Amino acid sequence: VTAVVAAIGQSGARQLSVIGGLARFTLRLIGAAARLTRAGRLVTLRVLVNQIRFTALQAIGLVSLLSALLSFLVISQSAAQLGRVGALEKMGTIIVVAVIRELGPLLTALIVVSRSGTAIAAEMATNRVMGEITALEAMGIDPYIYLVLPRVLGAIISVACLMVVFDAVALVSGFLCASTTGMSIRGYSQIVLATLSAKDVWITAAKGISFGAAVALFCSFQGLSVTAGPTEIPQAVTRGVVGTIVAIFIMSALFVLLTTA
Amino acid sequence: MSARASYLLPVAGIGVDGAPPLEFRGVSFRESAARPDRHFDLEVRGGTITGIIGDEHSFALGFDPPPAGEILVFGAAIARLPYAKLLAFRRRLGYLQVGDGLLQNLNLRANIGLPLQYASDHRTKEVAARVEEVIAAFGLQGAADRRPAQATEEERRRAAVARAIALDPELLILESPFDGLTAHAGRQLLELVQMRRDGQPRTIVITAQDLGPAVTPLIPRVVRLLEGAAVEGDE
Repeated sequence: VTAVVAAIGQSGARQLSVIGGLARFTLRLIGAAARLTRAGRLVTLRVLVNQIRFTALQAIGLVSLLSALLSFLVISQSAAQLGRVGALEKMGTIIVVAVIRELGPLLTALIVVSRSGTAIAAEMATNRVMGEITALEAMGIDPYIYLVLPRVLGAIISVACLMVVFDAVALVSGFLCASTTGMSIRGYSQIVLATLSAKDVWITAAKGISFGAAVALFCSFQGLSVTAGPTEIPQAVTRGVVGTIVAIFIMSALFVLLTTA
Repeated sequence: MSARASYLLPVAGIGVDGAPPLEFRGVSFRESAARPDRHFDLEVRGGTITGIIGDEHSFALGFDPPPAGEILVFGAAIARLPYAKLLAFRRRLGYLQVGDGLLQNLNLRANIGLPLQYASDHRTKEVAARVEEVIAAFGLQGAADRRPAQATEEERRRAAVARAIALDPELLILESPFDGLTAHAGRQLLELVQMRRDGQPRTIVITAQDLGPAVTPLIPRVVRLLEGAAVEGDE
């Protein structure tokens, strides 16, 4: 019994230690951002543009494909079931609630974690192992500003933009599916717009910011925590990705609790 | 080329005017409280080249304080500076760490330009001109667009030293700069960094496990760290 309690306690202490470390990491990033010089801003901007290119632009195709497929799956199944009970007008609710409000942000964030979160964690860990963090500090460059800040901003902007792409493709794909049941574009638009509200826009924006920040912060934190050497890099990537996925699901649940309360 | 003499953003209020560029006071790189005689003092005068040889040759000035004593850079106890001020102050000194510390995702040109972009208020064109000036001086024209992994060891070392002097620092610290280089390449590298842009001699501190015969004649003062004590002369 003692061993079980000790194991649970150790695991809990480890998780708390990670959360504490992440909080310190975030505070240090905010402090570094507050001291950003004009020259530093220009360098950060250059890295930020690159990050958005890698994280958002190069992911548009994948996000569009998965959005179209998800929308097709959800709408075709819903249309078949709702058609049987004569409730096709409820399809708009399903598109907005299931695809746009919940699955879209979640899937977009998961795509960014799998593409860019892994890259961020591996890159940061390599930076640490190769002595590049020391080299940056030796040049008087704060690694939080040069490495972490542009990635956090880049991930926030990218996730938010990709969510918009996801939603747009989902709506178009949803219409193509619905049109096979004889629905007109006017009818489809009316159904969707009746369910969409300004709240959905704000929730999407809030999710974009929080999911994007979670991806970059958690993966950077795990990447920079590597100390032992190259063999720790894949472990850091795994810790970063798994931790981010858990955080995103927890945040999704919190959004539901907050917005339905 | 820029009309302004210094590429460096000014760092106000740190350091002491007229203080030696580098000074070790009661420093020990080992936990040796039982042997206070193994703590050493050493002053490096401005405009000189000093070699410090021995096992403890990584100082990391400020980021990795020694277990005992303090290291003063231009009169400032660098390890006691708050992190933000330490970073700003560090731009006054060029530093080549063991290996090369080049950023792997940037080509050699971008690596050399990074400190200039970050710590200079010069226009983009002026920064680019300085980068090309340094690249030409170090004979890196053919390799400048390669990433570190695609460059030879000598090119990487040259690029890392070129990056360390890009801001034309008063003090240059080179950790094991000649490892893996031929005697000729090592000598050439040292000759390249001796002078500042205004023609004044640069203060250079070289740390290594040992110095080869090709570069020793260029280093007037050699201090050997023996079991934590500093002994003048390389014998």
